[in-house]
Amino acid sequence: MDRGHGPPFRRLAPAAVTVKFLRHLGAVLLVVTVIVGLGMLWAHASGDGAAGRTPSQAQVLRLEQVRAGVIAVHSDDGPDFADTSDLIRTGEIEAALAFAVITASAIRRRRRRERRSAAAEV
Amino acid sequence: MKASPTTSRPDPPVAAGRRRVLARTRLDFWLDALLLVAYTLAYSLGFTGVATHEWLGIGLGVALLVHLTLHWDWVLRTTGRLLRPGGRERFVWLVNLLLLVSMTLCIASGILISEVALPELGIHLPASSFWRQVHDTTATLTLILVPVHAAIRWRWIVGMVRRFAAWRPRRSR
Repeated sequence: MDRGHGPPFRRLAPAAVTVKFLRHLGAVLLVVTVIVGLGMLWAHASGDGAAGRTPSQAQVLRLEQVRAGVIAVHSDDGPDFADTSDLIRTGEIEAALAFAVITASAIRRRRRRERRSAAAEV
Repeated sequence: MKASPTTSRPDPPVAAGRRRVLARTRLDFWLDALLLVAYTLAYSLGFTGVATHEWLGIGLGVALLVHLTLHWDWVLRTTGRLLRPGGRERFVWLVNLLLLVSMTLCIASGILISEVALPELGIHLPASSFWRQVHDTTATLTLILVPVHAAIRWRWIVGMVRRFAAWRPRRSR
């Protein structure tokens, strides 16, 4: 990820910045189109995409579960502040994974520093 | 960044350049924070409800295009350096590539199975169990990859938070 340390947009005239942004946006759109196109090909290869076909068994089951209240989904417009359990669960999963990555990174850095200081002493 | 007392005042173009870089860094930070919050909300379907989930997902798609465009230089630079030795950047590149693919497919499939947003726009697509399955799978994958993607740059985030904590707005008088 570019965190502003690299060359982007530095010492460029505003017009040049706009041109560069649009050029990069074009490249990004191309990449995204390729990914979506490959997804469409995948769907086509797996026999999906027939218009007007009957819903699958999984869809019927999901609809029944939604109707029966097994799957907690409300289609009204707006968040349900009385039920934040789903939001909290998402936050917990994200925090746990981020914590694991940060811990691994900190351990790696410490080991590297120790190795470097040991080498300096020798 | 602290300027030493002996450093002379930078000439106007350099100062303007620094301001722009700082503004760019601020933009990166706040856009990334916004994306993380929006993603967390969008993933919590039970909290948001279908309508908010779908509109948030579409908005997230647009914001992700901007995010990727702003970091396109990094993509080009790192892709060009992939064959060089040194594993860390390669790992980051792989995580980001997987996240790009899964997030793109997640949003695209979400649009294709839309129950509220697209019908509201007058677009009706046939139901598809394939895209629903793709949406469920890629959503789970992004839930794993998004925190990894953010945590990989934790030192930058900590640095930015420290800079914001130390920053005081300049008074006009």
